[in-house]
Amino acid sequence: MTPQERLESLLAHNTLVVAGGVAAVGVAAAVVGCFGVLRRRALVGDAAAHATLPGIAAAFAITGRRELWVLLAGAAVSAIASLGAVTLIRRHSRTRDDAATAIVLGVSYGAGIAAISGLVARGVSGSAGLEAFLLGSTAALTLEDSLLVAVISVAVLAVVLAGLKEATLVAFDPAFAAAAGWPVGWIDAALTALTASMVVAAVPTAGAVLVTAMVVIPPAAARQWTDRLPPMLAVAGLVGFVSSLAGVVASAVVPKLATGPAVVLASSAAFLVSLGVRLLRTSRRPSGMSEP
Amino acid sequence: MTAIVELHDVTVAYGRRPVLWNVDLAIDEPCLYGIIGPNGAGKSTLVKAALGLVPLSGGSVRFFGRPLDDVRGRVGYVPQRESVDWDFPVSAIDVVLMGTFHRLSWFRRPGVRERDTAMACLDRVGLADVASRQIGGLSGGQQQRVFLARALAQEADVYFLDEPMAGVDAKSQERILRVLSELRDRGSLVVIVHHDLRTAASWFDRVALVDMRLVAAGATAEVLSRENLARTYSGHLDLLDEIGRAMQTGRRTR
Repeated sequence: MTPQERLESLLAHNTLVVAGGVAAVGVAAAVVGCFGVLRRRALVGDAAAHATLPGIAAAFAITGRRELWVLLAGAAVSAIASLGAVTLIRRHSRTRDDAATAIVLGVSYGAGIAAISGLVARGVSGSAGLEAFLLGSTAALTLEDSLLVAVISVAVLAVVLAGLKEATLVAFDPAFAAAAGWPVGWIDAALTALTASMVVAAVPTAGAVLVTAMVVIPPAAARQWTDRLPPMLAVAGLVGFVSSLAGVVASAVVPKLATGPAVVLASSAAFLVSLGVRLLRTSRRPSGMSEP
Repeated sequence: MTAIVELHDVTVAYGRRPVLWNVDLAIDEPCLYGIIGPNGAGKSTLVKAALGLVPLSGGSVRFFGRPLDDVRGRVGYVPQRESVDWDFPVSAIDVVLMGTFHRLSWFRRPGVRERDTAMACLDRVGLADVASRQIGGLSGGQQQRVFLARALAQEADVYFLDEPMAGVDAKSQERILRVLSELRDRGSLVVIVHHDLRTAASWFDRVALVDMRLVAAGATAEVLSRENLARTYSGHLDLLDEIGRAMQTGRRTR
């Protein structure tokens, strides 16, 4: 197929619906990702993303089914287990946050790869398709799949926006929030659960390895444009929307390009442009903003 | 008479390392109350224990004779300035607004009334003109005053401040002290963790000397005696002469 033909098939197929679902994931993952970045928990989301692989492999091995909802249910279980593991290691060993996160990320990713290649080596029918979850592939998404991830995205987005006051308070100053009587532990757990949900929903698009492209890079780009949280959420959502769409289109048009790398390239381009614009703006402004 | 705050036999340990032992402390009238002691004496921990922010290994805390959870709305808190990320994308007024959140139910956004309260509080600390500035663009003294304004917005009866004067310029110190004195004069209890003995002598009505245990508590002039200070700062004997001189100056300025 020529690129022209690929583009036509992209438009002809139910691809528009798929693109819509992926774009919804892009927006919600970026918005919930802002809180992860602001709470300096960006790596934890990445560990959870890598940890979806063993869950996907296990769900397939146990049920023998390949529907996306089955695989994502498995992904959610292992992602949550990985977050629990990070907490346990941190609490009960002399291992700090970053090391605990790195350990869990490495172990779960290794286990996932081993499980998937084991299934492929034994020639289990359909297991080769699981490799799509490594780097993401939207080409194989069905209408139902897109609806599933879109519904998750809209639900997560609704909860985050409804609880904006509580989320901001806990992200900025948990000690103050606790002293004022807010259940900081529960709000924190809710934010983590929302992040994990978006990580799971983003895995079919970006792949376990590159979910960061949708959860971390758009918030980092958005922070360059504004000093206020609501506009930061809006800009992050926009960057997530555009870069995930760009990823879907690019991977459909360019032969053998997985969606994840395409999305990560698009969102990091947005980050670089944002950074460049901010540096230009601040260098023109006179320094010495603060005063006693 | 019921004490405003009463700590009974409070013990706190981080892991296996005890940081506070058997503290008995009751404060029964509005005043400026200093918590004084050397670095690592457990001053901040004492405040966090009172506010339920660290688990107690033993003992109990009561406010107005009741458990803290019954009276959270009457207790305001200013954490240490270093405890938050000042690059966070919020403006000064956004931070002060957080002081009004506990009066709003879940998912309710602050409205005009909360905004007016927050603005008035920022004005009391002299920062109305930087209300919309991102907090990272403020000086250390201004950041501390934003934190104080947030506590004012809580409209509490008891305030706990953790090192509010640390790394703060003279102008901000003066302003903070004035606002705290106003709070006391209107009948609030203001408890302040403070490490500088020189200023403690002149600022506070009452003090508690803490060094893992409660060494002494009561009227400032009586508590900051040479003997008590020697017991509290036993590892820092060279400081004592300086403190003695500071006490003299402190008395003269009063």
